[in-house]
Amino acid sequence: MKLNRSIFWILPLLVLALPLVLNQYLQYVVNLILVYILVAVGFNLVVGNLGQLAFSNVAFFGIGAYASGILTTQLGMPWWLTVIPAGLCGALAGCAASIPALRGVRLFYLAIMTLAFGELMRWSYIRTPDLTGGSMGLTVPEPEVFGWMLTTEYHKFYVFLFIVVVVVIATSRLLESRIGRAFLAIKNDENAAAAMGIPTGQYFVLAFALSGFIVGIGGSMYAALVGHLSPEDFDLIQVILHFAIIMVGGLGSLIGSVLGSILITATPEVIRHFEWLVGSEEWIFGGAIIVVILFLPRGLSSLLAKVNPIFKDRYYRD
Amino acid sequence: MTLLTVTNATVQFGGLIAVNQVSFGAEPGKVRALIGPNGAGKTTLFKAIAGEEQLASGTIHFQGQAIHTLTPHEISARGIRRTFQTGGLFGELTALENVLTGLHTQIPSSLGGLLANTKTAKAVEKAATKKALNLLDMMGIAHVAEQWARDLSGGQKRMVEIVRALATDPPLLLLDEPAVGLAPPARLELMKIIRRLVEEENIGVILIEHAIEFVMTVSDTIIVLNNGEVIAEGAPEEIRQNKDVLEAYLGR
Repeated sequence: MKLNRSIFWILPLLVLALPLVLNQYLQYVVNLILVYILVAVGFNLVVGNLGQLAFSNVAFFGIGAYASGILTTQLGMPWWLTVIPAGLCGALAGCAASIPALRGVRLFYLAIMTLAFGELMRWSYIRTPDLTGGSMGLTVPEPEVFGWMLTTEYHKFYVFLFIVVVVVIATSRLLESRIGRAFLAIKNDENAAAAMGIPTGQYFVLAFALSGFIVGIGGSMYAALVGHLSPEDFDLIQVILHFAIIMVGGLGSLIGSVLGSILITATPEVIRHFEWLVGSEEWIFGGAIIVVILFLPRGLSSLLAKVNPIFKDRYYRD
Repeated sequence: MTLLTVTNATVQFGGLIAVNQVSFGAEPGKVRALIGPNGAGKTTLFKAIAGEEQLASGTIHFQGQAIHTLTPHEISARGIRRTFQTGGLFGELTALENVLTGLHTQIPSSLGGLLANTKTAKAVEKAATKKALNLLDMMGIAHVAEQWARDLSGGQKRMVEIVRALATDPPLLLLDEPAVGLAPPARLELMKIIRRLVEEENIGVILIEHAIEFVMTVSDTIIVLNNGEVIAEGAPEEIRQNKDVLEAYLGR
């Protein structure tokens, strides 16, 4: 098959036409996929590239979502002005989440500490009802961009797509640079990375902060998409979902983050369309994850890379 | 002129004194070997020089400046580069990317420049790639540039690691058991490369090695450690005949 890199421009252009063929509900699913692409891209930076078993992602997601929700409801800011602040709140949380790792906490210890961070945040959403609406949740107003209200899923789609394309391009540039190499070097051998003159501590903070920034932006999109945030949206099930996305897609691969988000978000919706399959969603879902991980340990991105080498992004490792 | 001066260096792990009051120096254009039985403190001393272990007492100076309080990446940036006994290479990176990682401190692109993909950022990356390829070519391993480091043979891995360490033209190179796992022809090749580096590039080399013939041939001076202390120091021929060394390490 003859392909060249222009496919990375043509595909998004084709995606632009999606609203012509989708109903509002399916468009909502596609929008959710866009949210999860950012969630996965950010998560993959820490897990797939920096190689740390850190599950603070759900905390970043929730903090971004609530930051956006609180800024719109309490301060009356238009949604589009909250996107970057939500990212910055996520980045700040990322800096905080990197502290245990900076102090030498690794592997299971880091996993459990970062899981605790996510649960602590969920508890915080419940315990601060004045800000977050507590367990009743927070209803956020319709998103506004430059005075335009995003009243339908189709409107949200174009705004989300723009954000996702910008973030993915920016991330790919970083990963293809000395920064991406430094992340992988740390993942492979921290001592050797330091011996190359890489200030490993700074790169830990950078990776977590970038991750928090990207996932925080994803959170602000989530708030705009669902219109109502509740603490259960950010529970441990989400941790498993995020992990499944990057495992199925491909650890450390940007293309993998995109593929994983599409598959994991769309599968339950597709199943729901076939009457005879209804009721067995969980089985199919769980089985599919097991099959992918068993037979494609480097995720769907490795399958794509075999189909054609142009999908072998420089940050893809087989 | 001395390049590196270690003065009364002591490294302690709890009650265990791994390196005890060791003093020695390294000069440009000379190979200095550290030998001794397992557990003599050679690697610990290496780690202390590279900043991976803290000194309990004593000092280490490099080019006249104290470095024993610096972190490993700061010491690396000052110009002391090392290879590792095992592992060391970044297996998930290609040989070329490993060397580029070695050049990390010489690729000054900023976060903003990278995000905006500016001409400067692209030019810097391109120049570094060219330099890395040249270095691989000089060692005769340019053909493995695009291979994953973990797929390379033992000899190729060692060469890539040395190229990666040398990428920033460091004045001092620390080699931790460079000959281990190498077949005789590869050892000979490595020996030639080390001699060329010291004689032509005037680099100072400190190496740890158990392959005694390798050490005797490649070194200018040898330091023998036993139980964390220096028991002998001198030219290879003197060491070969030293009674204490024969008893503690070389055997009769």
